[in-house]
Amino acid sequence: MKVPYSWIREFVDIDKSAEEVVDRLNETGLEAIVETFGEYIPELTTVRVLSVKKHPERDKLYICEATDGRKKYQIITGADNVVENSIVLMAKVGAKINGIIIKERNFGSYKSEGMFLSLEELGLADTSEGIWLLPEDTPIGVDGSELLGLGNEKIIEIDITPNRGDALSVKGLAREIGAIFNIKRKDYKANVLILDELIPNISVDTEKCYRYRGVIIRDIEIKPSNLDIQLKLLKSGQKPINNIVDITNYILLQEGQPLHAFDLDKIKGKVIVRNAKDGEKILALDGNEYNLKGTDIVIADENGVIAIAGIIGGENTKVDENTKNILLEAANFDYISVRKTSKRLGISTESSYRFERGVDIESLAEAQDKAIEMILKFGGSNSKAVGQKDIYPNPYTPKKIRLREKTVERVIGVNISKEECAEILNRLEIPTSVIDDGTISKIPAFRSLDITREIDLVEEVGRLKGFNDIPEDYPRISIEIDKNISYYQFERRSRDYFIDNGVNEIITYSFVGEDIYKDLGLPLPEIEITNYLTKDFRFMRDNLTVSLIQVIKENLRHQVKDISVFEISSVFFKDYEEIRLGIALTGKTVKGFSFTNENVSYNTTKSWDFLKVKGLILNYLKLFNIKDINLNYSKKAYLNPYESADIYVNGKEIGYFGKIHPKIAEKVEIPKDTYLAELKLKYVPRELRETVLKDGYIYSIYTNAYTPIFKDLPKYPSVKRDLAFEVDEDVSVKEIFEGLRKESNLIENIRLFDIFYLNNNKKSVAVSVEFRDKNKSLSDEDVNLEVENILQKLRDKIKGLKLRG
Amino acid sequence: MGLKEDLIKLKEEAKKLIGSVKDKKSLDEIRVKYLGKKGEIKKVLKSLSKLSPDERREIGKIANDIKDEIEKLLKDKLAILKEKELEEELKKSKVDIHLPADWVELGHQHILTKTLQEIVDIFIAMGFSVEEGPEVEREEYNFDMLNIPKDHPARDMQDTFFINKEGYVLRTHTSPVQIRTMLKNKPPVAIVAPGRVYRKDMDPTHTPMFHQIEGLLVDENITYRDLKGTLQKFLQEVFGKNIKIRLRPSYFPFTEPSFEVDISCTICSGLGCRVCKGTGWLEVLGSGMVDPNVFEAVGIDPEKYTGFAFGLGIERIAMLKYRVPDIRLFYYGDLRFIKQF
Ligand SMILES: [Zn+2]
Repeated sequence: MKVPYSWIREFVDIDKSAEEVVDRLNETGLEAIVETFGEYIPELTTVRVLSVKKHPERDKLYICEATDGRKKYQIITGADNVVENSIVLMAKVGAKINGIIIKERNFGSYKSEGMFLSLEELGLADTSEGIWLLPEDTPIGVDGSELLGLGNEKIIEIDITPNRGDALSVKGLAREIGAIFNIKRKDYKANVLILDELIPNISVDTEKCYRYRGVIIRDIEIKPSNLDIQLKLLKSGQKPINNIVDITNYILLQEGQPLHAFDLDKIKGKVIVRNAKDGEKILALDGNEYNLKGTDIVIADENGVIAIAGIIGGENTKVDENTKNILLEAANFDYISVRKTSKRLGISTESSYRFERGVDIESLAEAQDKAIEMILKFGGSNSKAVGQKDIYPNPYTPKKIRLREKTVERVIGVNISKEECAEILNRLEIPTSVIDDGTISKIPAFRSLDITREIDLVEEVGRLKGFNDIPEDYPRISIEIDKNISYYQFERRSRDYFIDNGVNEIITYSFVGEDIYKDLGLPLPEIEITNYLTKDFRFMRDNLTVSLIQVIKENLRHQVKDISVFEISSVFFKDYEEIRLGIALTGKTVKGFSFTNENVSYNTTKSWDFLKVKGLILNYLKLFNIKDINLNYSKKAYLNPYESADIYVNGKEIGYFGKIHPKIAEKVEIPKDTYLAELKLKYVPRELRETVLKDGYIYSIYTNAYTPIFKDLPKYPSVKRDLAFEVDEDVSVKEIFEGLRKESNLIENIRLFDIFYLNNNKKSVAVSVEFRDKNKSLSDEDVNLEVENILQKLRDKIKGLKLRG
Repeated sequence: MGLKEDLIKLKEEAKKLIGSVKDKKSLDEIRVKYLGKKGEIKKVLKSLSKLSPDERREIGKIANDIKDEIEKLLKDKLAILKEKELEEELKKSKVDIHLPADWVELGHQHILTKTLQEIVDIFIAMGFSVEEGPEVEREEYNFDMLNIPKDHPARDMQDTFFINKEGYVLRTHTSPVQIRTMLKNKPPVAIVAPGRVYRKDMDPTHTPMFHQIEGLLVDENITYRDLKGTLQKFLQEVFGKNIKIRLRPSYFPFTEPSFEVDISCTICSGLGCRVCKGTGWLEVLGSGMVDPNVFEAVGIDPEKYTGFAFGLGIERIAMLKYRVPDIRLFYYGDLRFIKQF
């Protein structure tokens, strides 16, 4: 909400600048900014139009004569709404309008000595039709900028938190500012006479309407509002319409009470406030038709709905230039219901905005009377209020809340005496008196939604006392608190590992679209967002690979071809979510850098291949002492079946790594030498919270690392022996390694140094084996014997195995 | 000419030759020529027999001295030649020390996790523990138990993503971790909880997914002053000792009183600029004293315990600290961006 500061000052005598006031509002809890109204325009004046003639040479143009009371001007205008005797704003030669300096200009053989202005040209409205016809009470020949307050008037704009509906009015702000600066707020009481001639026929037929007061005003005259009203509305960001509508808006801004005026003669029979019927429709004042539901509250007559309660009026009972008699409504509706309806229908009005945040039910009649007073004054000399009906079945009874001095101290940390608490609360117009251990307050209606408990009063005391002036302290955090940082440390170690090995960390959206799943031949994810933003953000991903592929594409688009990236993030299933690590690698393993110039490349860099990726992954698992790792050829449809592996730990699949399937690569348009990997990080001992000795290792939550305990250093030397085996081609080296290890307990290390293929479906596998006996030095003969022994056992187990030359 | 003169002549001759020799082979030839079995010195010594014993002794000594002298010259020269040879050899394999290194280039940590890590570490150092919670969260934990009842306008403060799982939403903040922690652990509780959160929002300063970190401290005798001190210390660790902080009373359903916390603008040092919209202040986090309703929801006695909570957006901090102009840059996986940090 924004309102001119001068309006607020009508209700509180304050000599501080608007900037000072705004600073204090911010410090005490209302987010506020101050801005200047428009920009000063020199050579702007008000004139009366003396005559209007059609331009004899030009269609759509008018030649007008106007006077500022001293001089006559000839102005050519295209505005259709210009009429004789109207008062308009005129930019004289030298004025600057939207960056253009006004000059004398000829239209055909006629000269124009200036320009009549519209609200839009003045920067006071986004759009406007025709020029701005000023009200009759506007003086002519005065400085237009000064008259409007351009470049001078301060506008205060506040953005309230949902609990502070009480501040959504000039009155509310005056109350707040009065409390902050300890100045008593001013107010006035309307002086109106409401006759008993015609009592409106109204009934309330719903529990969601807490109060409804209708007043009939007859014989009004619809015309533009006077200058003061129009200017206040304009400065508050609203467009003046006519006197009746303007007055309802004016009172809404000033008092915070929404009002609605119905054209009484368009209402058929009795007015009923009731729940809507499912399927009922209304054409609203915004020109849209809305479908209503049983949970909505409406104002209806015998023909149907004439307004959506608290939100918007109907076209069918609209006040227009022919309106003579009105029913002026002031009501109070259930804020939840208004909120639900306005949200569902997608309408937010000044009225609904206030009802949703709570409107002061007790000030309803007072505010409405102020409106009636204005209507009777500005709505034509014959207008009179002829009858009223106020339906208010359960008048407000203030809740009493006790505030203990001790609670203030427990929460804020300093002692504020009960006398001072009472003084602060009374300043906020919350009637409060001192009792034995604190204070007792009667919560007025305008704060009844916000202040319901003792703690809410603590906040009021604290914010007015000034939280920033209360000195800081430091908590003593108990060292007995369990430190659950195991997972945090684990993730951090994982991240460091990949970064140190040249892989870059990325973060992508958890959202995915349907297309990539189709391309990869995967079933759609289980978790779907029902109110998704765009089709690419429709599902919660159930794997990271889909996102990583998109990152590769994104980088290729920027001619970045060497891509090595990883992401650690959750993936989602209907019943659970789990954290995964995803990796995508393509192009060269980026090698080569210089400290003097980072942008160099090294021409002997190598491309990623299966074994490099395997090394990257297995070393990572090694970091966390993960043993019993098994690899099987992967059957994932988007992977190359001959160059990819699923990883098993203790028999459970924990992920995969491998090359993308060439068909998929082609489909999603990424290089065929792209390697992908994904690991479930679930196997990490997240529940392990203590330092424990397990399998000869000590685990620490601070490093999330396993550190082995000391083992004796070898006492006797080892002996190395190179062995070349011939085996059938389809025998995996794994079988040979495992066989060797199983058949001998003297083997300490096996190193593969050569593999090549022979004729007749055989291959040669050459390994260097290191033998060591814990208890003695091995002789050549010992080793020969051991080798012979191993071979004998392996011959039966491995297909076609024999020792070569 | 006597033998003595011959010997001295030989010495001078050898000295000259050794001095001018350029390689080991020629040096060896000189050695053979003068000191070899048939060398010049030997020849002189052979002719000694013709001399008197006195003369023989005298000339013999001279010959031996000269032999020693030539030997020393040869040795020294050999050392010089070897040194030279090594130098030549090393020179051949000289590397350009400015060549690019042949090692895997370091990867880059994402600036968001870097920022997050710094923040978490500050709190770990203060004694906080780290907790996590699911991103698909129970509506009850995300809203109701945090004192955000259905149909309360506060639910509009965060536009929620709903999913095809009854009673669950994509968490709109990390605050439900407060609930999970307090249901699990009795006070004292001191935790931070980082993670992804989701809101239906998309423009240059908002993305439908971003990162938050939640903090919660619950114990006896925790007051607003502890909140102020903790946040001041934390923000000064992140943004530097010179920044000022300001707590503005605000509204969050799960804290009362609640505060928006501002730091003096890091760009203009509080003078007013475009980033701080001329105010000199930057809003960085939301905080407050845990609302008694939240304590009641998790079964903690609000008459015994008090606590504070805070939540901040990691993106916001990273953008301010590292001057990243557009929040969307964080999520493209564009290596040109990633490798800047
Ligand atoms: Zn600034």
